[in-house]
Amino acid sequence: MDSVAAEQGRSLKDHMDDLAFYIFAAISVASAFGVVVSQNIVRTALFLLGTLGGVAGLYFLLDANLIAVIQLIVYAGGTLILIVFGIMLTSKSPWAEFKPPKSQIVLAAFVGLLMFIGITSLTLSGEVNWAARATKTPLATSPKVAEAGEALLTTYLVPFEVDLTAIGAAYLAKTEK
Amino acid sequence: MASITLPWVQRDTEKLSNYREKAIRLLAFIALAHIPIILGAWFLLDPLSTKPADLQDSKVLLVPPLCLGSIGGMLLFAGAAFAIYAYELIGRVLSAPWVAFIIFIGAIFGIVIGVWLHAEILMTVQRDWMPAKETSVIPFVGIEYDHTVQSIYQNNLEGKSVDFPLIGAISIDTPILAYLMFPLQFPLVRDLVAVGGIIGFISLIPGFGIWWERKVAGRIQSRMGPMRAGGWHGWAQSAADGIKLAFKEDYVPPGGDGVLFRLAPYITFIPPICAFIALPFATAWVFRDLDVALIFILAMLGIEVMGVILAGWASNNKWSVYGAMREACQMVSYEIPMGMALLIPVMTAGSLSLTGIAEAQSGGFWTWFVFVNPWCFLAFFLYYVASLASCKRAPFDLPESESELVAGFLTEYSGFRWSMFFFGEYVAMYVVCGLAAILFLGGWMSPFPASSAEWFIAQANIENGMLQTLVKSLLAANPIWFILKATFLFFVQLWIRWTLPRIRIDQVLYACVQVLLPATMVVLLGNTLWILGVSENGLNLGWLIAIDGIINKILAAAGVLTLVGIVGIAAYGYRNNKKLVGWLAVDQLPGK
Amino acid sequence: MADVILESQPDINADLSSDQIQQQDLQTEEMLVNMGPQHPATHGVLRVVLRTDGEMVLEAVPHIGYLHRCAEKIGETVAPYQYIPYTDRMDYLAGMNNNLAFAQAVEKLTGLESEITERTKLIRIVFAELNRIASHLVSFGTYGLDLGAFTPFLYAFREREYILDLFESACGARLTYSYITVGGVTDDLPERFVDITREFLDYFEPKVHEYNLLLSHNHIFIKRTANVGVITAQEALDYGLSGPVLRGSGVNFDLRKQPGSGYEEFDFNVPVGQGEKGTVGDCWDRYIVRVSEMLESVKIIRQALDKLDGTEGQETLHKKGKTLKLPADEIYYEIENPRGQLGFFVRGNGSAIPDRVKARGPSFCNLCVTEKVCEDVLLGDVAAIIGSIDVVMGEVDR
Repeated sequence: MDSVAAEQGRSLKDHMDDLAFYIFAAISVASAFGVVVSQNIVRTALFLLGTLGGVAGLYFLLDANLIAVIQLIVYAGGTLILIVFGIMLTSKSPWAEFKPPKSQIVLAAFVGLLMFIGITSLTLSGEVNWAARATKTPLATSPKVAEAGEALLTTYLVPFEVDLTAIGAAYLAKTEK
Repeated sequence: MASITLPWVQRDTEKLSNYREKAIRLLAFIALAHIPIILGAWFLLDPLSTKPADLQDSKVLLVPPLCLGSIGGMLLFAGAAFAIYAYELIGRVLSAPWVAFIIFIGAIFGIVIGVWLHAEILMTVQRDWMPAKETSVIPFVGIEYDHTVQSIYQNNLEGKSVDFPLIGAISIDTPILAYLMFPLQFPLVRDLVAVGGIIGFISLIPGFGIWWERKVAGRIQSRMGPMRAGGWHGWAQSAADGIKLAFKEDYVPPGGDGVLFRLAPYITFIPPICAFIALPFATAWVFRDLDVALIFILAMLGIEVMGVILAGWASNNKWSVYGAMREACQMVSYEIPMGMALLIPVMTAGSLSLTGIAEAQSGGFWTWFVFVNPWCFLAFFLYYVASLASCKRAPFDLPESESELVAGFLTEYSGFRWSMFFFGEYVAMYVVCGLAAILFLGGWMSPFPASSAEWFIAQANIENGMLQTLVKSLLAANPIWFILKATFLFFVQLWIRWTLPRIRIDQVLYACVQVLLPATMVVLLGNTLWILGVSENGLNLGWLIAIDGIINKILAAAGVLTLVGIVGIAAYGYRNNKKLVGWLAVDQLPGK
Repeated sequence: MADVILESQPDINADLSSDQIQQQDLQTEEMLVNMGPQHPATHGVLRVVLRTDGEMVLEAVPHIGYLHRCAEKIGETVAPYQYIPYTDRMDYLAGMNNNLAFAQAVEKLTGLESEITERTKLIRIVFAELNRIASHLVSFGTYGLDLGAFTPFLYAFREREYILDLFESACGARLTYSYITVGGVTDDLPERFVDITREFLDYFEPKVHEYNLLLSHNHIFIKRTANVGVITAQEALDYGLSGPVLRGSGVNFDLRKQPGSGYEEFDFNVPVGQGEKGTVGDCWDRYIVRVSEMLESVKIIRQALDKLDGTEGQETLHKKGKTLKLPADEIYYEIENPRGQLGFFVRGNGSAIPDRVKARGPSFCNLCVTEKVCEDVLLGDVAAIIGSIDVVMGEVDR
């Protein structure tokens, strides 16, 4: 299906999907920027919530429900709060702030700029046929939860177990403290 | 009681009646002014014409507002004029206890019927219209649609009637309905209508829940609870409180983080509402039947914590920070046993979809997962305890424990923002209770097996279609069963709240890490082995299957006995409500 | 992450003294929190400054004086008969007992004691013990409230209401009675008082059992109070504690059992902390001593009411009470208040107005142990401990 034909067959839902994509993308990018710029821990956490939530929204748009909710429950609901909790408890006071040294800022800006240039040039170069990839709609191919679960317990059992062990180890290390 | 007239509050009655007359005249004039609009619209648009040439799609935007909207507007203004004219009479009628009681009950029934109709329309649209295709395009916008007003009329309304019990068949053969139904063919519009229904239901939960909690607390503490607002048992108390809160000072503490302080209530308030996206009320009564609904709802409950942390932190108050920290550590730790306890029904049903789990329990109350085997029975209680902790209800209400932390993270909040937290809290309570009802208590399934409905219809020889539907919904599956079960569990939360003291923070964590977590792990493992033992694809152990059947019946009987006991004690208390003081029945109080 | 510097905002401790701020800045991870004077768990205007590390309370320093009303100084400007209403306002939950302590001190000083009739003494005992029940009911209810159990509080107040009705029928007041006064009681008992009181006792006695079911033996309640805030017997004696706090630590000492207390002819027990649920002297022991004392008071009142029947017609107010001249002598006299030993020191100079009046308040003396007990406990325990010591700030600050 070429892009012109795709444009003609668009329903209201497709337009809404587009709109939702831009909204979620904007939330993600803006919050990600906020995470980098903000010096206040709790605000950073809030921005991080925005980023994670925005990306989860994008997953939902791609019909990857499982990834989306796992993103929300593991990162937004669990890890993020643990981070905030840890920082608030271990710092001098809960009203703590980040003050990274200048060298780190420069380094981070350099790396970020490099990646930005890389991705932008790749996008604009025409090397990748985005339209052709877009036709491979995730709706048709993405596995359902049951399949994902089955794959985790058969094909990918070893990585899954390793992952669990890592979680267990982290848990033990945490309780020892 | 003699009325006391205070000189400084005497009203200028003459002036007041002047204003009243003017207002009545103005409203009556506006009401009358609608008549030419109605007549003109009726004449020009001819909404009752069923001729194909008159059933034009272009009239969709004109017929409903002009023909129906203006009639509604006229009635509204006329009603307002009448209300001002007869306000003394209306006030007297409204505040009479029995009238207020009837209004209260009528409002509940009205809401139920309204929600019902709303869902019926949505389901009809989805079920009956989807196959037909007759594509047209909205001019200028370019959006395609499948059903013209004409086709809607001819396929769904022409010559149709609904068979009401007692009243008989009533014709619904009017093209105005076709104009009203036309927009519903767009999924987006349907979604918006459905969202309206869900938000309507959600907004009732806190209002009803807070009133009910206060009544329950009152009864437990041998007092009456709210009795004034609304006339009958203070049924309008929540509305009155809401109005009061909206008008209170909106205080933002100086020195805190104003932006986050203002933002935090919304972050606490929105996720529990989002949980209703995936929470089914019945098989088709769900906004989006996600295959990961369970995890989605858990994730939403997890995000709610962020708002509490922000609120505590941004308040610039040490007690608030304590509240936030307690909430964070409580939530993060209790999510684990809660999630693991929820895995048990998932495992038993073999499905992660809430609809699928509920459908697996449709064979009568003894097939509900809480009774199905001992591990599930334990899991229900483990989940319930963890869910109390996750909605910070007593005895786990440490984040807002008033005797330790003043009000915890709520200390600096007032007015509307404060009420937002409560809104979120009550909705979250309902969500966890709804989850428990679906996963362990059969969701929207009635206590009878699904086949009992057909049996009853055949025995009673019911021919009326609507009566058949009613019997089927009562005896088989119906959202009302879900709401009843969830509301009962909600009541248990209130009951616990007003009975138990609060536990200490180290005990909260001890109970989670040393008790609940190992217990859920054992139950999870036990349930796995049990299912493996009894399933035909697994070990298929004969003796275990026999024990399974016996234990299932014993647990079910225990459940019935518990319910009978609760109802019996409640009935005893209600019979003796004038004599009971605590558990002591006295004929006469001292000194009386 | 290692290079990230965490800085605290400088102004968070603005409400503390400079010493404390310096101390705060030197140490990390600690926070100074003001618990009170406006805090739900401090029973009035007690202010406790907590030095906390997370949820742990490292130090709790009580600060008092927010309710100071010069109660003792006023005693040097008015006659004893006029001073009685001021004693009501010290321990406002046990007004009768306060009246009694001061009235008896003055009577002992002036020798009026020998002229007090038997009926007056019995009425005084009935009211003192009724007020002990009322006071312990408040203590019991608010202790539940401190631990998050709301319902016992309202039950306790429901029962207290009947006692207040009885008081109201006798003297017209429900909180500040001034009923027991120098020379007797202001008025004889109203009609049917004895019968109604018996009715109340019959009603009240089984209620205590209900409280035990509801709160005392509640598992969470025991977990919150047992082994928390332990005061050993030696510590209790060292700190000069008295009342249920002392008896909760296992010391069997009650002024009512001492000779000359007026309770010689009554048969009652003195409940003592046994360490039933934890250690001797923990919060639960102090709490259960109060609950048991209510039952003992019921016993005393029953006996007193029986004796009252034979004393009809006796004078209950001595005329001399209003026009007393205090001798140039001094006296210290104390009685067993619901909270402990309430003593009054009175020195006369030959005129009607005393030279010096000094009160020894049990709440004030009991409060001093807070700092000792609240070391290295959790934040929730502070509320439990302060509640179990049961202070009334009106009397602490006087």
